[in-house]
Amino acid sequence: MKRRSFVKGGAVSVFGAGLPLRGALAQSRYARYAGQTVTFGIPAHPHYDAMLKILPEFTRETGIKVDVDKLAMGRMKEKHLLEMAKPQGDYDLVSYVVMWKGEYVAKNLIHPLERFLKNPALADPAYDLNDIVPIYLENLGMVGGPKGYLAGPGAQLYGLPYGAETSVLAYRRDIFAKHNLQPPGNYDDFARLLRLLKDKEGIGALASRGQAGHQCVHAWLLHLNPLGGSVFDDRWKVRFNDEAGIKALKFLQEVVATGPAGIPAYGQGESNTAFLQGQAAMYLDSTSLAGLVNDPAKSRIAGKVSWALHPMGTRRASQSGGLGLAIPRNAKNADAGFLLMQWLTSKAQDKACTRAGGTPVRNSTMVDAELVRQYPEFITFREALKYSNPDWRPIIPVWDKINVQALGVGISEALTGKKTAEAALNDLVAPVTQIMREANYKV
Amino acid sequence: MRTPSWVPALYLGPAVLIMAAACLYPVLSAFQLGFFDWSMGTPWSDARWVGLDSFVSAFSNPRVWSSLWTTLLFAAVCVSAEMVLGIALALALEKPVRGTAFFRTLFILPMMIAPIAVGLAWRYLFDAQFGLVNAVLGLFGMAARGWLSDPALAFAAIVVADIWQWTPFVFIMMVAALANVDAAVIEASRIDGARWWQMTFLVKLPMVMHVIAITLMMRLIDAFRVLEVIYVLTFGGPGDSTEILALHIYKTAFVGQQLGAAAAISVLLLVVVAALSWGALRLSNPLKSEK
Repeated sequence: MKRRSFVKGGAVSVFGAGLPLRGALAQSRYARYAGQTVTFGIPAHPHYDAMLKILPEFTRETGIKVDVDKLAMGRMKEKHLLEMAKPQGDYDLVSYVVMWKGEYVAKNLIHPLERFLKNPALADPAYDLNDIVPIYLENLGMVGGPKGYLAGPGAQLYGLPYGAETSVLAYRRDIFAKHNLQPPGNYDDFARLLRLLKDKEGIGALASRGQAGHQCVHAWLLHLNPLGGSVFDDRWKVRFNDEAGIKALKFLQEVVATGPAGIPAYGQGESNTAFLQGQAAMYLDSTSLAGLVNDPAKSRIAGKVSWALHPMGTRRASQSGGLGLAIPRNAKNADAGFLLMQWLTSKAQDKACTRAGGTPVRNSTMVDAELVRQYPEFITFREALKYSNPDWRPIIPVWDKINVQALGVGISEALTGKKTAEAALNDLVAPVTQIMREANYKV
Repeated sequence: MRTPSWVPALYLGPAVLIMAAACLYPVLSAFQLGFFDWSMGTPWSDARWVGLDSFVSAFSNPRVWSSLWTTLLFAAVCVSAEMVLGIALALALEKPVRGTAFFRTLFILPMMIAPIAVGLAWRYLFDAQFGLVNAVLGLFGMAARGWLSDPALAFAAIVVADIWQWTPFVFIMMVAALANVDAAVIEASRIDGARWWQMTFLVKLPMVMHVIAITLMMRLIDAFRVLEVIYVLTFGGPGDSTEILALHIYKTAFVGQQLGAAAAISVLLLVVVAALSWGALRLSNPLKSEK
């Protein structure tokens, strides 16, 4: 069975359990929980800002109150871990970054969703899990399987995507037209354009993340995948210092050299700002930017941006990642938390959140005629999702440590010129291997 | 009637015991944690005894030593500059002249701002594209610099942010100390013909040396513990050029999920800070004059 069909198949069987109980039972599923308060841990993130605009409707519709605890993305995990480790924590629903899912499951902190989805008193028969973009569902929701973080035998659904993303190229239509340029279809064209745009336009060619830690690793991985590389081979042996890894890092060094000043200090926010404020001609990163581009309060380039697929290297591969929703095992109001999760990711609310500037997680939202008129880039996004790679980065439980404490230092050193691309990656082999051994991988 | 010797002990005892417990418990807990491998988010029963492994690793880990060196350099540069600037400002505003109250208030504002906000403010000020620092440099025809993307400049940036925030602390301590210098001594030195620098360096500052020592010690301790501003400003980068020990401990605990290893490095930090504080107090023991 193919991985994607496994995701779909599992989802259908789990949700199908609720189908015979349509009608009165389903309609009254909120009544039991009216008056309860769901404590919801969310990050400061554009998608969740959009979500906050539709959230009051949930309370009006269900009688369930929601207490939102909004935290900076960087501080969210430590707070959530502290809460979820208690016998009874404060949270009934938490948002998590995709990279944390394996760790949360390994530490037995979040519920598998099956018990909620199979409960006819809770599950909405009209929910249609199959409509959720399968790659998002696999990447953000599934834990287990042969690799531990993908679908396959043994995998279970632990979360639902909410604030999920893939990578696309955004470019300044006006600048490209002025110089009679086409968006890059492959990495050779991409590399040529970096220098050309810098020389001709005098602004940065490509906005990119680059700050030490997770941010610069994310930027490097964006190029590593299409260039044919990966962090580990199939037996968890390091392979990031091979030809593809070095090529990807050299490409990123060129992005820094031709990009807006200060990329080695850029987080996602700064990279977005550089593009939105007209300091870069291209942007290659998360689809979450789309909601901001045409907002005149946040963007100086409204109406000047077109979208294209992530350029092709030796293969076409766009990223997969972003945020999901899960229910802590120690939640006081877990059922009410599930009802909120289900409501937020329903067809109607996915559209409502997208209208408010959020990123859709459902296929039906991305083909909705009204929304496609508002966001024509959805046509490109749907195409990009065909190439989205759920194995884009190895989200094993120790990935955060490898990401921030090893790769995040060495790649940053390469971006500031302290080390060559080759030296930086070769020097990282020993510490990453050591972390893998400490985590009991036989490498 | 003479008070029995046990009465002061009776009155002070409970407070001293509570203070001792409040101070010692976290230290002993950290020390105990250093002997275990315990990941955040798991029950304590899952913690694994590792003996001295974490302490040995702390000593053998080059990242610990490089971040300790960065911390020492950071503390030395920041605290020196803050002491000199704070004392100079206090001497300048010692005498009440027109606008003194306004300037005193203005100078202490930075230390009232939350460190996270300070980090964010300086992050924008140092932004290579939109930052005020580069804009000002541009007015003088100087090229824009990547303040937070160049290892040397990033270190300078965190130093500037710390000096900006904490010089006011030294200033306010010194203003209070100088206000308590006996006016008769100053007057006597003036009558004896002391010049400004003699009055400052040979009379006033020696008379407030105990406050200087305490201030120096407090700033040293704080400089070793600073975390939020650097977390926001650089997150230790580029590379690990601004990764001070407190940030390394944070990453070990909350990113690496090695609470035991983080606790072991914290004990190392405690020893270094205690040694430096002891040295600062030895410079001028404020309790000596009380004997």
